[in-house]
Amino acid sequence: MKFFGFLIVSLCGGLLLYASSEFPDWGDPDSPASRHLSPHYIEESLAETGVPNLVTSVLADYRSFDTMFETAVIFCAGLACLLLLRKYKPETDRYYRHIPTGVILHFKNSRKSLPVGSEFELMDADWVPYDLVIKTVCRILIPFIQLYALYVVAHGDFSPGGGFQGGVIFGSSLILLAISYNLRTAVQRIKERVLGFLCVLGVLIYAGLGVLCMFLGGEFLDYSRLAAILPADPVHVRALGMLGVEIGVGIAVMAVMAAIYVNIASAGRHDEGL
Amino acid sequence: MELLINSFVVICLVSGLVFFAGGSVGIIRMPDFYSRLHPAGKLDTLGIMAVVLGLALFELKQWSLASVLLSLKMMLIVFFVFLSSPTATHSIVDAGIRAGLAPWTKTKRS
Repeated sequence: MKFFGFLIVSLCGGLLLYASSEFPDWGDPDSPASRHLSPHYIEESLAETGVPNLVTSVLADYRSFDTMFETAVIFCAGLACLLLLRKYKPETDRYYRHIPTGVILHFKNSRKSLPVGSEFELMDADWVPYDLVIKTVCRILIPFIQLYALYVVAHGDFSPGGGFQGGVIFGSSLILLAISYNLRTAVQRIKERVLGFLCVLGVLIYAGLGVLCMFLGGEFLDYSRLAAILPADPVHVRALGMLGVEIGVGIAVMAVMAAIYVNIASAGRHDEGL
Repeated sequence: MELLINSFVVICLVSGLVFFAGGSVGIIRMPDFYSRLHPAGKLDTLGIMAVVLGLALFELKQWSLASVLLSLKMMLIVFFVFLSSPTATHSIVDAGIRAGLAPWTKTKRS
């Protein structure tokens, strides 16, 4: 089995290497990309798409199809992480703390459990006391990080930024919450089911916008067709379509980042981690 | 007035660069993990504060809404670095002590 895997990998790798010898040289001015494509993007993109940021117009409009499948790749990464690592059997070795007295109870190999509430709380096995400095600073910073992430997503058309970056920043704010408090707090704030739903929703928004353009009589992801339903002038409507797509990318990336972190840090049990 | 602001900007930038240089030397020369973190934390907070303060003042020379907004954003960067960098240093030191790394001493402990 291992041998076949090696054979397939080396065959694919060899094919890719063989094909790369046909590529034009690095920075070759006579290659088709630099002769027709790049000048067209540089000269026409503002007039054609109405978006001042060249990178966004190439990424989310000219090569929108490519970006959609990049989002799908990220979604698949999150899905693979979930399928490989998730363990649904709850841990039988549990620690509870009696909150009023601070007494710690250790349940070994038992199916019994205590009601978690104002009296008892679940505790990590390698619990360390909360650090007031880290907790407070993270509590102050996390809203600003999330606000900045939304800014980066929304401002992708005009300045450096976009869905991928904004989603990563938002996801890292959730990871910061999990690190500074504990994993349970983060999982309570954003449940596994919500994370899974958001992963799917992001990709769905992207693909749905494309299909919507088809329904309005254009090609897949032809944003100019959205002018029929959006109250904006036709020049600006492409930028709005890109914004919608970027929001989808941001949601998907955010959810996948958080899901991957939660699964890896807790080895799939979603109870305690770093 | 112009000269005053310019000289203040230069003083800020130079002192920031002094902090950066000293911090970089300290990271290389200090003997162990904890003492290396000390210049690293100083470099991030004080060096960035001095440099960005100088740049924000330089931007304020043309008094307009755009330049005021730009310097305000710069000061926001300083504010967040000021909050997060010492916290990061603190948490790294905390992790080192919890992991059982003993601080460096001049005489070898038996």
